[in-house]
Amino acid sequence: MALIEIDDLHVTFEAKGRPVHAVRGVSLAVEVRESYGLVGESGSGKSTILRAICGMAPVTGGAIRIDGRALAPRRDRGFARRVQMVFQDPYASLHPRHTVDRTLGEPLAIHGLARGAERGRRIVQALADVGLDAAFRFRFPHQLSGGQRQRVAIARALMLEPEILLLDEPTSALDASVQAEALNLLSRLRAERGLTFLMVSHDLAVIDHMCDRLTVMKEGRAVENLDHAQLARHDMKASYTRELFAATTERIAAAE
Amino acid sequence: MSLLEVENLRVTFATEAGPVEAVRGVSFRLDRERLGIVGESGSGKTMTGRSVLRLIRPPGRIEADRMAFGGVDLMRISEREMRALRGRRIAMVMQDPKFSLNPVMRVGAQLTEGLRLRDGMSAREARAKALEALEAVQIRDPERVLDAYPHELSGGMGQRVMIAMMLIPEPDLLIADEPTSALDVTVQAEVLRILDALVRERGMGLMFISHDLNLVARFCDRVLVMYRGRIVEEIEAQRLSQATHPYTQGLLGCLPKIGGARGPLPTLARDAAWSE
Amino acid sequence: MSGLRAWLIDPAPRSPMQARAGQLWLGWLRLARNPLALIGLLIIVALLAAAALAPWIATHDPYAQNLAGRLQPPLSPGHWLGTDEFGRDIWSRLVHGARITLYIVALVTVTAPVVGLIIGTVSGYFGGIVDTALMRLTDIFLAFPRLILALAFVAALGPGIENAVLAIALTAWPPYARVARAETLTVRGADFIAAVRLQGAGAGRIVVGHVMPMCVPSVIIRVTLDMAGIILTAAGLGFLGLGAQPPLPEWGLMIASGRKFLFEQWWVATMPGLAIFIVSLGFNLLGDGLRDVLDPRSATR
Repeated sequence: MALIEIDDLHVTFEAKGRPVHAVRGVSLAVEVRESYGLVGESGSGKSTILRAICGMAPVTGGAIRIDGRALAPRRDRGFARRVQMVFQDPYASLHPRHTVDRTLGEPLAIHGLARGAERGRRIVQALADVGLDAAFRFRFPHQLSGGQRQRVAIARALMLEPEILLLDEPTSALDASVQAEALNLLSRLRAERGLTFLMVSHDLAVIDHMCDRLTVMKEGRAVENLDHAQLARHDMKASYTRELFAATTERIAAAE
Repeated sequence: MSLLEVENLRVTFATEAGPVEAVRGVSFRLDRERLGIVGESGSGKTMTGRSVLRLIRPPGRIEADRMAFGGVDLMRISEREMRALRGRRIAMVMQDPKFSLNPVMRVGAQLTEGLRLRDGMSAREARAKALEALEAVQIRDPERVLDAYPHELSGGMGQRVMIAMMLIPEPDLLIADEPTSALDVTVQAEVLRILDALVRERGMGLMFISHDLNLVARFCDRVLVMYRGRIVEEIEAQRLSQATHPYTQGLLGCLPKIGGARGPLPTLARDAAWSE
Repeated sequence: MSGLRAWLIDPAPRSPMQARAGQLWLGWLRLARNPLALIGLLIIVALLAAAALAPWIATHDPYAQNLAGRLQPPLSPGHWLGTDEFGRDIWSRLVHGARITLYIVALVTVTAPVVGLIIGTVSGYFGGIVDTALMRLTDIFLAFPRLILALAFVAALGPGIENAVLAIALTAWPPYARVARAETLTVRGADFIAAVRLQGAGAGRIVVGHVMPMCVPSVIIRVTLDMAGIILTAAGLGFLGLGAQPPLPEWGLMIASGRKFLFEQWWVATMPGLAIFIVSLGFNLLGDGLRDVLDPRSATR
């Protein structure tokens, strides 16, 4: 049985009085310890699927199951300990008036874990795990670079030791060299902790590098499901996937 | 004489913690060619582009031994003379059309404003010229776009409108600061193709600022690679794969490739000597 | 000194206290670059000093009457700001009046903004029916001119400083609720709020720990700018005989008693008027300066 199962999911927003059908019947299944990718351009509904899993988007049809059980309408603390998310923009996902210490300590405080000195030890350890020195502990987000912020955001997502990490364009706001470091960090953490990834990106190359299987999305629908080997063989059927593939490789191959 | 000559440009910001140098002695020349300026965030590439238009707000300060555009010393002329150059002879396209177009004015009004105020054209003439400009950036139904508000346009469409707007006065130099970074990959290529064709046809100089080395290489004649406010390497775009500076090589190597190895991506080992 | 400075600007603080102190220090540096704000701060500090040191600064007992020396003009011997209709020294009364002004200011600051902050953030965060109910309540309070509403409250509760303060506080909170709600609405959808919600935080924790810190700066700016209005309202109530009662040296009350002699003995009403003007100006200048320092929109990323 798959760890995350999404069955004919529909999400409809109300925007300016008109309904916007952001996700139109998407199904997928992510196995335990698998890394699964969702790729598409802006407005394809890929991020909305992650938000729907977290209960932050209005699901109007279909089902989301974790470990075979349908999610409760309100995500509880138990959910928080199993599923965490890393957001796209590290400038917006850290509280601007909280120090790194407070940001990382908050999940522990919410769940009543590790008090006093033990909490401090866990925070320093979490910083070390994402490759940050303990000197960063009492800094504010504006004193950090984009890459450092995203490391803090990853550390925060891992504080509760979840099994599933939802990654919403985790590197698209970062420079290329910093993106490489962040992707390496994510791969390492996944290997070390046996995490399951569901990752969203507009960049097919990033998804290809990180994921075993992927779904190409366009305008709220799943266009095609592919695995890593198929992509490497250029074995795709949908013309949109080919277009996306061409645009991505063209960009990268230019210098060679 | 080159179209643009910049010698020892410095941009300094006064902050609470003392002065911060965003650009530290940059020199280059630009003719009627396509020059790429590449670097990561904080490399000073955007500040370099803005300096040419003297668009740096206090507490920022621009200094240069020489910054000449068509023989005019940009460091010496008054703000009034500078305003006459901006938009008319030197134009700029910015990253996100959402922030560059006025959200409460119809596109048509924004496109024709300059023509009517500056060139004293009649409304009819200006509209005809605006239509022509939109056709030049391959917008299929320019009439509809002229009557639309910016929020009714997609990102790619908005950016094409921006390019059209900047090119109406037929400037000699176009500064494009990450003109496609906010766009989807499949749209990017098209916008770039349009920009490229216009620059070639009109024989303008183009300063193309981007974080994306590969994109710049495909699109420009010459590339300047910036790191921490300095130019670390200047190279012909076609010979980019033979770049010698470790920073340039690092930037080229750290992108994931489709079907590439699954192991860790090469990362940049930053050397303090690069910023010396 | 240089050791303290280094400690304050240390890019890697070793404790939450040091981190906060460093931020305050940076804020101070930014404020210190604005000469007008410094003038404002100086005025407020002078007011605080006058209130704290009143018995030593005052040259006379503010209540001591001397009917032989009544209505002395300024710069007369022993009374450099003159005397009032009972021969009381105006300078001494102004200095002691600073205590009353500060008392009113302090009481209003610890009540109205707190109420406004709570109502605004709760309203903005929960939205829906809670928002509608709380905001309509706010609208009702906003619909009355402040002085009129305060008058009504004082008329019902009886005159006196505490009641005047209560009346001002009850009429002053709605703008803070509005400011806090507006700020909450922009913050509510932010990723950092989504992140903490995803960690299982309850609404109370999110509102108090995560939303309020984002609203506090705007409210502080608003309070500082409103302080002039609050002082004026208090003085107005005093002037109408509904605030502080004679013989207290409250500035508004002093203006009221000087009104009768305004044309012949102008200084009796003018001196307390000037005091109100200067203190109001001080709060306004400081508020403008604080806006530049605290406003999240003006801060650079």
